[in-house]
Amino acid sequence: MPRSDSDVSDVQEQDVPHVLSAYVHDVRYFAALLRGVSFAKMASVTIMDSGLIVTTEEARTLLGTAYIFADIFDEYTYNPPSQQQLPSQSQSADSERENEELNAAFDINLSVLLECLNILGTAGPTTTNLKTNDKAHRFHGLGQGDGGNDNEPGPSKRNGRKDDKDVAGNARLDQYFGGGGKKTGMRLSYAGAGYPLTLLIAEEADGPTATCEITTFDPEPRLELPFDAEQTALRIILKSSWLRDALSELEPSCEKVTIVGNPPPPEGRVPRTSTPRLRLKAVGNWGSTEMDYPNDREVLEACDCPVAVSFSYKHSHLQKAARALQTSTKTSLRIDQDGLLSLQFLMPSPRARPGKSANAFVEFRCMALEGDD
Amino acid sequence: MRFRAGIESVDTFYKIIQAVEKLQKRCVIKFTETDLHIICANDVNEGGIQVWSQIKIPSLFNDLRIQSNANNQISMLLSPEALLSALRSAANPSTASTSNAVLHQVEAVMRLAKKNDQAVLSFEINGLSRNAGRYVRVNHDVRIEIMKPQDVQRLSEPMCPEPDVHVLLPQLTKLRAVVERLRSLSDTVAIRANRSGRLEFSVRTDSVSTDVAWTGLSNPTMAKEGGSQEPSQISQPHDPEEMFGVLISVKSFLQFLNSHVVSTTTIACICQNHCMILYVYIGEVADAGGVLTYYIPAMVDDTS
Repeated sequence: MPRSDSDVSDVQEQDVPHVLSAYVHDVRYFAALLRGVSFAKMASVTIMDSGLIVTTEEARTLLGTAYIFADIFDEYTYNPPSQQQLPSQSQSADSERENEELNAAFDINLSVLLECLNILGTAGPTTTNLKTNDKAHRFHGLGQGDGGNDNEPGPSKRNGRKDDKDVAGNARLDQYFGGGGKKTGMRLSYAGAGYPLTLLIAEEADGPTATCEITTFDPEPRLELPFDAEQTALRIILKSSWLRDALSELEPSCEKVTIVGNPPPPEGRVPRTSTPRLRLKAVGNWGSTEMDYPNDREVLEACDCPVAVSFSYKHSHLQKAARALQTSTKTSLRIDQDGLLSLQFLMPSPRARPGKSANAFVEFRCMALEGDD
Repeated sequence: MRFRAGIESVDTFYKIIQAVEKLQKRCVIKFTETDLHIICANDVNEGGIQVWSQIKIPSLFNDLRIQSNANNQISMLLSPEALLSALRSAANPSTASTSNAVLHQVEAVMRLAKKNDQAVLSFEINGLSRNAGRYVRVNHDVRIEIMKPQDVQRLSEPMCPEPDVHVLLPQLTKLRAVVERLRSLSDTVAIRANRSGRLEFSVRTDSVSTDVAWTGLSNPTMAKEGGSQEPSQISQPHDPEEMFGVLISVKSFLQFLNSHVVSTTTIACICQNHCMILYVYIGEVADAGGVLTYYIPAMVDDTS
């Protein structure tokens, strides 16, 4: 309930509809999506008919984008600021046209927003088992990894025993979205430029309610890294857990990570001895790591790579993807001819709704380091 | 000066010390024939939180023998951290009955002693080891400093006006989850309550303004003495919706929330723009074995 002395209720009393009013009965999925791009303090939010786009960037090189579709909300009403007299317009199901003019946008302090979402302590990440997992598999050795890494899970295993991995993945997701436990509902509203973003958070039972008004700022121009799909040099789809494990095992001291893609082996060769289709390579002060993903459909669900490619990226930038990877199930990895890396992480929706494709995703784009060998 | 006591409820004693451990490096512990007083009243801690607690001897100890020239009272300065590690060998503070304590069937006795010209509180703990079932005896000496009676008398509980509102707090563990989030947003929090069971925590900064509200709490009448306060009868008619608030340091409030390990019932009193008083009851309120009283002074307040 809005506090009687706040600005917001004054606005509500007038007949101007809010630019955005949305409700979700369980805030955790929304929070997980935002956490996926929370490597920078400030984020730009664009509000559209079809949902929210939240972007963050670092060093003009790395761009994180969370696509949060309107479907994930139980209720989602968007009134374009320029057309507030015609609110019914925006409700029409045909929201294909994405007219830039009709979008509302603002910048917001993302870390504050995340703290507010978790204000009742009910939207936090449950990373305990992940942490132990990571620790157990951390790269300890010095010297050259031989790419075989037989005691390590996931990517390097050629006879792909993926079952335990799957089970672990599901258990983790259950922790996030599990049916049991109390759910925290949230109402999100934004009155328009110059107004704060208002969150109303309440537990289902007679628990506490929280009202948060987060200051919004005029949108700053954001980095744009257009990915040219025509010029795709490498396209791979794999399980997110295998990329996450690989990233967590990279030699921590290394500056850069090289992604190598190879075309499929010539016909007739035995797959066991084939060259890896995908290799992650990291060289640090105290050792180096090389991780090979074999040409196996169990590992790489799809792999298009006409010509061999090799591009390097800043290790710290790739590590920013770790939070999104925690919640993600599937990853699409693409690199274009200029070396621009696009990582799309599919974030499974807590519940499948008939007739709706509610799976949101988080995308990272990262420019390749120049002067690569 | 003689002092000896068997520790009957090691776990409760452990939790009480745990609740005050983080407040100060050294605290005052005063034994009388009837009560144990734990006092943390240094001015040095940030936010100015103080604890004055009073626990009935029978709720923690058995077989107390105490003798001194100061009215059979003994006061000492000691490090709560050291006391805690001494008790740890005997305590089994996990609430679950399936414990991983080292010892069981514990008997613990503490006595005042002098070792190498140093006054100590000596703990003798006897029990059976969990693994081998063997008889084990553990000795811990905690360095103390006996306080002079005149220094003890100089300690005085803070004076507070009659509170404007009393409210029964929600479960402290839940409250703590919220206050920890608030701490990452701001250093100060405004706490308000009214006599209709409403409690609000508010944070105002440049980037965010947050209110967390609980409703349907009860407003106990503090007719009888609780801690040191004057009996406060709520006689004059007041608007039950009127909110009374105080601005305090979030860090101090979190220090108070460390008492969640021992609390069953906690009553918060707000003296508008002056201070907040929190009574943490040990055991049920009806036959409370004791009460920890926290005072948190108001910060310089120009908002509410």
